[in-house]
Amino acid sequence: MAKRYLILEDGSAYPGEGFGAGATTSGEVIFNLNLLGYQETITDQIYHNQIIVFAQPAIGNVGINHDSYESILPTAKGMVVRDLTNISTNRLSKLSLDEFLRQHNIPGISGIDTRHLIRKLRTAGPIKGSIVDVADAHAFDQLNATVLTNRQVDQVATPKPYPNPDTGKNVVVIDFGLKHGILRQLSERRCNVTVLPWTASAQDVLNLDPDGVLLSTGPGSPLDLGAGVLDMIREVQAEIPLFAIGLGHELFALANGAELTALPVEYHGSSHPIRRIITNDVIYATQGQGYAVTAKSIDRDRLITTYVDLINGTVQGLRHRDFPAFSVQFFADGAPGPHESRDLFDEFMEAMTSREG
Amino acid sequence: MPKVVVDAMAMQRALTRITYEIIERNKGVDDLVILGIKTRGVYLAQRIASRLQQLENVTVPVGALDVTPYRDDIDHDSQAAEPEVSAADIDFSVAGKKVILVDDVLYTGRTIRAAMSAIMALGRPKSINLAVLVDRGHRELPIRADFVGKNIPSSQREKIKVSVTEIDDRDAVEIIKASANQAN
Amino acid sequence: MQSLENLQKVLIIGSGPTEIGHETELDSATVQILTGFKKHGVRTLVIDNNPFSVALEEIQPTNMYIQAVTTANVRHILEKDQPDALLATLGGLQGIRIAQELLENGDLGRYGVRLLGMPATTLRQINNPAALNATLKDIHEPVIEAQVVQTADEALGLVEAIGFPLIVKPVAPRVDTNRTICENVDEMLTALNQGFQQSRFDQCTLERSVVGYKEIEMVALRDVADTEILIGGLEDVDPIGIHSGDSIAVTPPQTLTDREYQDLRDATFRMASELGIVGVLHVNFALNPANQHFYVTKVAPYFTRGVTLAARTVGYPISLVTGALLLGQRLVDVKLPSAFTKQTAIMEPTNDHVSVRIPLWPFQEVPDADQHLNTVMKAVGSTIGIGRSVEEAMLKSVRSSQFSPRDVLPSVSQLTDGEMISQLIHPLANRILVLIEALRRGYSPEELSELTKIDPFYFVKLQHLLTIEREIMDNPRDVDTLRRARYYGFGDGMIARIWQTDTATIRQLSAQAQIQPTYKMIEPTAGEFPEDLSGYYSTFEYENESQPLGDRTALVLGRGGNQLGPNSAAEYFTTEMLKQLKRAGYHTILMNTNPNAIGVAPEFSDKQYVDPIQLGDVLNVIHVEHPDIVIVPGNRHYLTRELKKLPLNLHVLPPDQETGEPAPKEATIGVSLFVHRQQKIAVGVMDMIAPGMNKALSQVTAFRMPAELPKAKRVNLVELAKQAVSERQVTGMVQVLFAPKGDTKQLEVVGVRPTRLTEMAFLSKVTGINWVRMLTRQHIGTLDDAELAKISVDINSTRVALMNAAFPFRQLHVLNRPGSTDQEVGATIAFGSSEALTLTNLSDTAELDQIINRTI
Repeated sequence: MAKRYLILEDGSAYPGEGFGAGATTSGEVIFNLNLLGYQETITDQIYHNQIIVFAQPAIGNVGINHDSYESILPTAKGMVVRDLTNISTNRLSKLSLDEFLRQHNIPGISGIDTRHLIRKLRTAGPIKGSIVDVADAHAFDQLNATVLTNRQVDQVATPKPYPNPDTGKNVVVIDFGLKHGILRQLSERRCNVTVLPWTASAQDVLNLDPDGVLLSTGPGSPLDLGAGVLDMIREVQAEIPLFAIGLGHELFALANGAELTALPVEYHGSSHPIRRIITNDVIYATQGQGYAVTAKSIDRDRLITTYVDLINGTVQGLRHRDFPAFSVQFFADGAPGPHESRDLFDEFMEAMTSREG
Repeated sequence: MPKVVVDAMAMQRALTRITYEIIERNKGVDDLVILGIKTRGVYLAQRIASRLQQLENVTVPVGALDVTPYRDDIDHDSQAAEPEVSAADIDFSVAGKKVILVDDVLYTGRTIRAAMSAIMALGRPKSINLAVLVDRGHRELPIRADFVGKNIPSSQREKIKVSVTEIDDRDAVEIIKASANQAN
Repeated sequence: MQSLENLQKVLIIGSGPTEIGHETELDSATVQILTGFKKHGVRTLVIDNNPFSVALEEIQPTNMYIQAVTTANVRHILEKDQPDALLATLGGLQGIRIAQELLENGDLGRYGVRLLGMPATTLRQINNPAALNATLKDIHEPVIEAQVVQTADEALGLVEAIGFPLIVKPVAPRVDTNRTICENVDEMLTALNQGFQQSRFDQCTLERSVVGYKEIEMVALRDVADTEILIGGLEDVDPIGIHSGDSIAVTPPQTLTDREYQDLRDATFRMASELGIVGVLHVNFALNPANQHFYVTKVAPYFTRGVTLAARTVGYPISLVTGALLLGQRLVDVKLPSAFTKQTAIMEPTNDHVSVRIPLWPFQEVPDADQHLNTVMKAVGSTIGIGRSVEEAMLKSVRSSQFSPRDVLPSVSQLTDGEMISQLIHPLANRILVLIEALRRGYSPEELSELTKIDPFYFVKLQHLLTIEREIMDNPRDVDTLRRARYYGFGDGMIARIWQTDTATIRQLSAQAQIQPTYKMIEPTAGEFPEDLSGYYSTFEYENESQPLGDRTALVLGRGGNQLGPNSAAEYFTTEMLKQLKRAGYHTILMNTNPNAIGVAPEFSDKQYVDPIQLGDVLNVIHVEHPDIVIVPGNRHYLTRELKKLPLNLHVLPPDQETGEPAPKEATIGVSLFVHRQQKIAVGVMDMIAPGMNKALSQVTAFRMPAELPKAKRVNLVELAKQAVSERQVTGMVQVLFAPKGDTKQLEVVGVRPTRLTEMAFLSKVTGINWVRMLTRQHIGTLDDAELAKISVDINSTRVALMNAAFPFRQLHVLNRPGSTDQEVGATIAFGSSEALTLTNLSDTAELDQIINRTI
């Protein structure tokens, strides 16, 4: 394997061995603390334009398998790992991580002191990086000149509606960069799903006469998406049950008057206890966020805080006071990560049923 | 064999949803009081109140309505006879309040009717809403629940058994098929 | 929620002697939990008869019951001392069994004693597969249907439905027994015959065999408010069919998908809730690699080696937290020492390293045991390797498990192909070496996976190590190769051997090329938070996190994994030595690879390095820490010799037992003296008892003190012993051995030796003076002559003590017999009047057992 480098905006260069695609890429460097689930992670569209540093040192151990895709065409900019196992003899698949990354033109670099990198990133704030062949001045110039798009959702979300038919409740999913775990959870509950582009209007949604609407996860900042989507949310939430996750949650908050704060460091992991306020118990879920709803900004006459992260105090869930509309910041589909919040999909189903009376 | 139709998680979820729906319907928790019908309705009422406390940091008064048992049966609402309901365990005024009446199973509606009379005898509430964990149909009076945990269409030959951890060591709703030797 | 506000007095059922199935991990957890209880103002009583218990050193004598851990003795304490609650989960399976008996016969109710850790309904189900399976089926956990049978005929009737291979297991066994896999009717009948005898109800269960499935273990914590966290998962590299205690185990699991892992996590939580566990729960699963279906195979709501391993390798303070949970605290409220980031207790641990545990077996000491690894556990200890790749962790662990003085892996190249294949299918203790040899001979990962049911992933990793080994062979003294070799866990000794040079040369090359170890902290947040914990392991990367501990440091080299012989006594010695060093103002650094060690707790050592205790690795730590004192155990001759060449303040502790003086054949009396300069303090005169017919010194495994001799005779022997010592240049804790002269009754001196570790612990427990600490003080020069002069031990005490070694023969299924000192797995101790402890026949092991385990 070729010697390659991970270089960072701050001028540091880390030599390692390249794997996956030989492409030179740039992106925001973030870290993921999950123990398992590298395939789900690398295929999650929230990592669009990002280079992911994995805390778990041994990556690639189970190859690539059929039921762990979170998108068909992953758009992350790279994987940084300590140790890669290029195994394709796994019991669940014949495709290795290395081959998979080649297919999707995503570079990886192994042999990196990822623990050091994470210890550095946890205090460094947002930082850009590149995976390059040569760490010379030119490479750094290129990196510094790179402007990352703020049109991430447009890049990864569907431009056209498509169905995921079944025989149960009619659910419209608004796609901001949807992870498949959400569709799997709806499928398991027999929902007849129509996925709409994020630019859909409230009328577009309501024309389908759905029992409920789900605002999906997605990459980037919700502040870049404009006011139209917030209008859509406000109109739809008054009519039908609404469930929002991740980026969808952030938009739901914005639509109801709350504000967002950019976190000093993005958090991607599943080890934080999250308090479910109504029952005062603790759950765990995969979290992946660069923004959080500002607690102070929540209008208590419109929204109720339903979940809170006990480690950093961030708001993890909201509910509308007047409508069956609720949202969570964490990934309730549990792909990857703990499953105990999947129950929220049942809550969504019951909200739709309850409304029918 | 009893069949579990609502497990512990689903029961928790139903109570959570009912709590949110109460907030939605009443635009908050001001002037709210919760009255549970003994025995299990009281525990459910307390759970709803504790959820409201968690969410809104407001203590909503909880009272108990006692149903005079007329037969030793699994659910008290399964007979056309008019049960007697007394409101002895309520140490607050209901006058001008929004009352949430809570019971485990809604069946003929006769218990609810009696409960409403008992409440009215205490004072004139602003409104009475009914929350039930299970609505099993077969109403004999024009009564409907405002908040329903789960609709369980059932045959009259079946019994619905609600268990709550407070006294039954677990949370569950079960349907018991009435067989010859089970029917009493 | 259970209210525990009135909890003022708790009785802990101790674990008794270490044996196959439990090592020092229970004692270690007990120490931590005791400390926690004390902090919360709870008085803690302990019953235990393990002379090597560190926990017993930590409590007031008035709270200590040094008695056989039996139901009758526990009942007696309940009656007499009226504790509010009973904690049985630190006593291994024996503790659980005693609690079950006290529950069944109504004693718990009678004395109003609460059970900590689980409700009575759950206690009843432990080790009762039928009852447990019913509960698990209730909550839809997949279990292997077990059919209870009372006769062989009943079993024969079920054979067709279940099919072979099937598993026979006794119901509610009296002993810590195991499942037996049966391939045919004959094997089944044999297993049933034995099983009926072991069962308290004369019953066995029959069930389908899941041999060949992956075995995954999960360790979780739950509090009274039903908050649950997963501490970690263990993947057993060996499949079901090899006892999980005999399997190589990896944390975190490496060959599971996230979905599989989360499914097992969910199942673990459901069980913890359903069973109402407060504290630890350890569950074993059998996972069918073909279809991802799993079965629950074992549910253990008590402390186990697996619990300790999971927690140690992720850096989670499980005993501290469990102690708080047992008192009714919620996880969200548990306060940890300031070294931890706030709320670490309730953060689900995540890892950025890999740990590999390799068991250690007693076959060298008990060669007639069946050496095949199967469903009956045989390991007596284990050793771990931690690294930043599976290769590195695996190789470190292999290096620690092989006891090669020069850090060179033994070769099994002498095996014929036939022998090798046979050992692949029917593994022996050298399992890992045979796997490597097979790869060396060209077998592919797929073929080997087929033969062994081990995931091909592990063969890919081992093959990678062989590739690197080949590179080392092909590139002598090449710096890049050296870098790569060290990066993947090769020891300096291994590289030196291949390059036909010495360790010093390797180290010099490394220093020149700046290939230096970087130490990483073992902490449970994978770098998310700046934890300040004290455990480190080495790797060869960019950033080193270990800063020298500072002034006045002592580096103590541990003994690695437990083995037969001194075993837990060595662990006791190391811990007491650490305590003394600390008391003398030293910052203590412990290097050890034993996951069950007691000394690794922060109370006993300020810093720990989990790395092979081999010359190169030791020098690396010395290079970072510059310790003022280095303490090396006496059994590490090569290491000692090499370290002596360096300008170090080196001490050999525990002392080397090999003095060069030929050992006498027999001895009947031992006189222990503490010799310091001119002072010779009499510590005790003891009977040296070799149960059985053979009276060889190596079979002296029981001791009684004071020896059954007239007072004047004891005094006389002490004088003779002092003379013998004066004639020799010996110092420290010395034992003078006496034996009858010829056929007379006249005793004469037959030898002088350093006191063995087991007897040192015995003497400390009996005299109330901690001789390990005295010896340590002597070495570090803090022993005060005047203070020493004031010590006087009553060698004619009327209180008699008896210690008897425990052996693993029953568990190894070999003929019971008098054991020798190098076969000891643990020991028991008893105190009493001389009448109570009189032995009528010194050869009678049964009488010894009976007296030492008597009901008080």
